[in-house]
Amino acid sequence: MRKSVCATAALSALALTLAACSGASDDGDPTATGDGDAPAEDVTISFYTDKAAWEPSFEEMNTVSEPEGLTLSFTGYSDPTAYDAFVKQAFRTDSVPDLFTWHTGGQLAELVEQGLVAETTDLWAEAEANGDVPEGLIDNYTIDGKQYCVPLNVVYWTMYYNKNIFDEHGLEVPTTWEELETVADTLVENDVVPFHQMNIIFEFVWFQALLAGHSPETYEGLQTGEASYTDPEVVEVMEQWGEMMDNGYFIDPGVSTDPQTLLSTGEVAMAYFGTFFTGQLDSVGAVSGTDYGVFPVPNMNPDTETNQMILETGPLCVGAGAENEQAALDYSAWWMGEDAQGAWSSSRGDVSFNPKAEVADPELATLVEAVGNDEFQVQMRYLEATPLPVYTLSTEIFGDFVTNNPDPVPGLERLQAEAEAYWAEQE
Amino acid sequence: MTSRTSLATPTTPPAAGAPGPAPANKPRDTYRWASRSFALPALAIVAVLLYLPFLWTTYLSFTEFNGLGDPEWVGLEKYREMFADAGFFTSVRNTLLWVVGTLVLPVGLGLFIAVLAHDIKGSFWYRLPFLLPYAISGVAVGVIWTFILQTGGALSEALAFLHLPGTELRWLLDAPLNTLVMIVAATWQGAGVNALLFGIGLQSIPKEPIEAARLDGASGWTLFRTMTWPMLAPLTTVVVGLAIVGSLKTFDIIWAMTKGGPGRSSETLALTMYKETFVNNDYGLGAAVAVLLTVVTVAASVLYLRRQLSDSKEL
Repeated sequence: MRKSVCATAALSALALTLAACSGASDDGDPTATGDGDAPAEDVTISFYTDKAAWEPSFEEMNTVSEPEGLTLSFTGYSDPTAYDAFVKQAFRTDSVPDLFTWHTGGQLAELVEQGLVAETTDLWAEAEANGDVPEGLIDNYTIDGKQYCVPLNVVYWTMYYNKNIFDEHGLEVPTTWEELETVADTLVENDVVPFHQMNIIFEFVWFQALLAGHSPETYEGLQTGEASYTDPEVVEVMEQWGEMMDNGYFIDPGVSTDPQTLLSTGEVAMAYFGTFFTGQLDSVGAVSGTDYGVFPVPNMNPDTETNQMILETGPLCVGAGAENEQAALDYSAWWMGEDAQGAWSSSRGDVSFNPKAEVADPELATLVEAVGNDEFQVQMRYLEATPLPVYTLSTEIFGDFVTNNPDPVPGLERLQAEAEAYWAEQE
Repeated sequence: MTSRTSLATPTTPPAAGAPGPAPANKPRDTYRWASRSFALPALAIVAVLLYLPFLWTTYLSFTEFNGLGDPEWVGLEKYREMFADAGFFTSVRNTLLWVVGTLVLPVGLGLFIAVLAHDIKGSFWYRLPFLLPYAISGVAVGVIWTFILQTGGALSEALAFLHLPGTELRWLLDAPLNTLVMIVAATWQGAGVNALLFGIGLQSIPKEPIEAARLDGASGWTLFRTMTWPMLAPLTTVVVGLAIVGSLKTFDIIWAMTKGGPGRSSETLALTMYKETFVNNDYGLGAAVAVLLTVVTVAASVLYLRRQLSDSKEL
């Protein structure tokens, strides 16, 4: 017995020594561990994000990650623009952030091009082998065949509806575009505004919903320059959108009341938002499944074979050359796992990208299950899928369209000219 | 101790009859150099905090730069882009509207309040409520006025209740109405402080000339136009100068109320500069707008002040 205790102690000491050697090395190379094991000593990782309001959730996550020897030191920005400028400036100094949140699409590519973020190809291979990430999510994190960053979260864009309003007018959840129009017409006849929409920040979302459901190929083609904004499919979508506005389907964009308040009070019957909207509705006292529910937006074109689901994902990135780069990579690997994601989903009341993580909200659980069962073709959100100069112009074009419902063709021509200039530069 | 002795040495007068007196300008030169060295820290701060950023911004305006890596020299390309952009001229128009509107409303109303409150009992209490909004930040003012001006907001509801026209107006959606109502919001905030400044100016006017003019039969508008207004000129120069500069760089209220939209219909040059730099990541274009805005602001201030100061010399 005594021998065995001694042997255990000796092995433990050896293990600790080896672990210590594989931790922060004496030669100052922070990437020296390389095996993805938890560091020997507790490491506090500097973490920066533009999601200041999520601090309590990240603090909760610290209690879960503590046994791994990993703790986040949280710095939250509430202004995303100021945050983006801060991150860019940080890379011009010696204080590279260990871990930080960023954007997918062109803005991630910019950082990768400058060699500012650590590669995560191995982490993704392991996560895919473990079934910790759904199929296709990796595309958002792949640049030139390699992966960078891991998903902080995913958001599915879906239609939220006020159940009380639907019950009051005897409406069923629509499963086809025709049914959706019938529901909207019924609501208009009863002086209820069917849909919410905004002319700032989220001015593009109805364009993405309609085009993805009308012609998924065109939606994808716009992301690569293979389709044109003046293609008939795009014009048809804009005309459909304009007709919906003419029919009184949308709330006046001059109303600046929070969408969660508008939906929960029944001033609008439906609001097309990302699944983060659940948290906003909960914050005003609306109860999921009782006061509101969700359903996927039906395809505008009934001939489109697959149902479409828009996905938005925010990356969690490791700064290349950061003081605790290896620890931040270890945290990233741990973050994608079932334990971390289960805790995260529970803390946020939101969906997780990890299919194994339990989703507490029954409405969202059904949605996530349907996505997990490949019932949808998953598409990137327009904002991240579109080159930045084109997206920037689109905010002006769509903002004006939502506000004034003008002839869409001149706006589409301007967008196409901007897109052509962008793609010509890339050649 | 040693240093104290050595410091005292140059100021010690030479002993009477001592041979070879030191050159007469030496202590003065030493003093001059010493005084210059005292100014150096202040000059360094100004150079580092004011001149360098401006020179860096000017350099950036000739480059293609997204905030990462090194700026790439593109010559005048960013200025060409700026003038080729239709939205830029919307920004110029709105900026001009802000300059004119600010001079007419916050300055004009401030003067009106100051004159009405002048020389009456309890004028402080009359001016005080106009000052209160000045204590609020521009962003908070924007949020408050958004509640008032949004579709179906307080103003529309009040107009409907009173059966007045205007309920159908889309205050924040249609240009240039959205810019005009935001100037009204800025007036609500800024008129009080202008009234305070004009009030100080009115109190500093000597009473004798005014009394003399009254004895000559001047009163009301004639008294104000011929006596009070010219004697207020120094204060007016300050208030109008500040108003011009402030209106050229208006940002916070617009950002809080419309973010320059819908589309770019209520954008000003200050918003264009911010959006191009930090939202669109086109630091070169943002810097070009910044340089233009700086040149316009400095030119307007210098031209205005030079004219006003030369006028006052003539007076």
